[in-house]
Amino acid sequence: MKFVDEFRDADVGRALAGEILSQVEPGRHYKLMEVCGGHTHSIYKYGVDDLLPANVELVHGPGCPVCVIPMGRVDDGIAIAHREGVIFTCFGDMMRVPGSDGSLLEAKAAGADIRMVYSPLDALRIAKQNPDREVVFFAIGFETTAPSTALTLKRARAEGVKNFSCMCSHVTIVPPLRALLESPDLRLDGFIGPGHVSTVVGARPFEFIPADYGKPVVIAGFEPLDILQAISMILRQLQDGRCEVENEYKRVVPYEGNLRALEVMAEVFELRPHFEWRGLGFISHSGLKLSQAYAELDAEQRFSVPGVRVADPKACQCGEVLKGVIKPWECKVFGTGCTPERPIGTCMVSSEGACAAYYNFGRFAREREVV
Amino acid sequence: MSTLPTPDAGCESQHCITCGDVGDPNTVLAVDGDRGLALCCGPDGARNTVEIALVAPVAAGDVLLVHAGTAIARLDDQAVPS
Repeated sequence: MKFVDEFRDADVGRALAGEILSQVEPGRHYKLMEVCGGHTHSIYKYGVDDLLPANVELVHGPGCPVCVIPMGRVDDGIAIAHREGVIFTCFGDMMRVPGSDGSLLEAKAAGADIRMVYSPLDALRIAKQNPDREVVFFAIGFETTAPSTALTLKRARAEGVKNFSCMCSHVTIVPPLRALLESPDLRLDGFIGPGHVSTVVGARPFEFIPADYGKPVVIAGFEPLDILQAISMILRQLQDGRCEVENEYKRVVPYEGNLRALEVMAEVFELRPHFEWRGLGFISHSGLKLSQAYAELDAEQRFSVPGVRVADPKACQCGEVLKGVIKPWECKVFGTGCTPERPIGTCMVSSEGACAAYYNFGRFAREREVV
Repeated sequence: MSTLPTPDAGCESQHCITCGDVGDPNTVLAVDGDRGLALCCGPDGARNTVEIALVAPVAAGDVLLVHAGTAIARLDDQAVPS
């Protein structure tokens, strides 16, 4: 398909790998963070890291929307799902995220009416089909997904759907990046910027990274050639002594973002003072809740929730993985106590989670190395 | 409970395209302007109903980037390198 096939061309990939090899200085170690879980998935799926010189290391960032949801938030969702007359809807990966006493999938097995949806619009459709039931949508995701939730809430209000509400757990990408850059644990040389978040927010919100922290950022698409090209562009900036935000993904990312999406988000959401991130703790102004104008559609106001903070399991090192401090395979329970079938930590749940991506694809290459 | 049940659409075992911030190019087949929706064809040939409020107006043949049932961008032919 157009816009896909041309970005998977093996010959161009090999040429880009050669270019990258010519750009690195021998003896220097380059540590680049791919912010978005979608990039992590593509890197392992297509073996992009196998094409890189040994001194170019990719570090996986916090941009997997499932991985950053804390256990207490899952517990709140399960509490609502168990209410009499409620149909609880959420995206597929969210079903398997462990709470303190099981996942939504296990709550469904125990009798709660929990349904997977592909989009918030599907949840609204379920509400219209079940006017005698309360339908709650568990909204997760970064700025890529938040406009879809916002449009659905506007549509619900316009169509007078009274039995629909939203448990909003949307998060924003810039505050955790700033928190990571302030972390003394981490030394990075540059960032592969999140392509689909940038489709909505544009490139401008990332300007603080070169301005305040002196690191290059290249916003990239998700095909293997996109990622190789972005790595080459970061290395070129480092070679030239430049430090700026560049956009490799111009075919969908305008520098200013999608202004209509930003408008609808500003109307429907407002920033929470604090939001808890799995492994990263509470980060100021990093989560969204429904604005006053849409408060009547807020499931957390319509139903009482425990709202209890739950510490991560002791064995789980998702926090260190999300901060790029350790590699997935360095976690004590990786592939043994924690697998995609029975995840302990969120990074093993979503295919975009660094642990699951590595488990599904990268571990085979590593096994070959070990042999 | 070792595998994820097969959902209605879009989520397959071990991979949820919505959670994963995945955006797929979809070609517009027909537009329902009154409802702000378009019938689109995804890369796998599947037909999807897509919310188009963020990228309207669109016409048949346009290629949109779709995430969570919503078109969040229009793909720019001119920006694809030869």
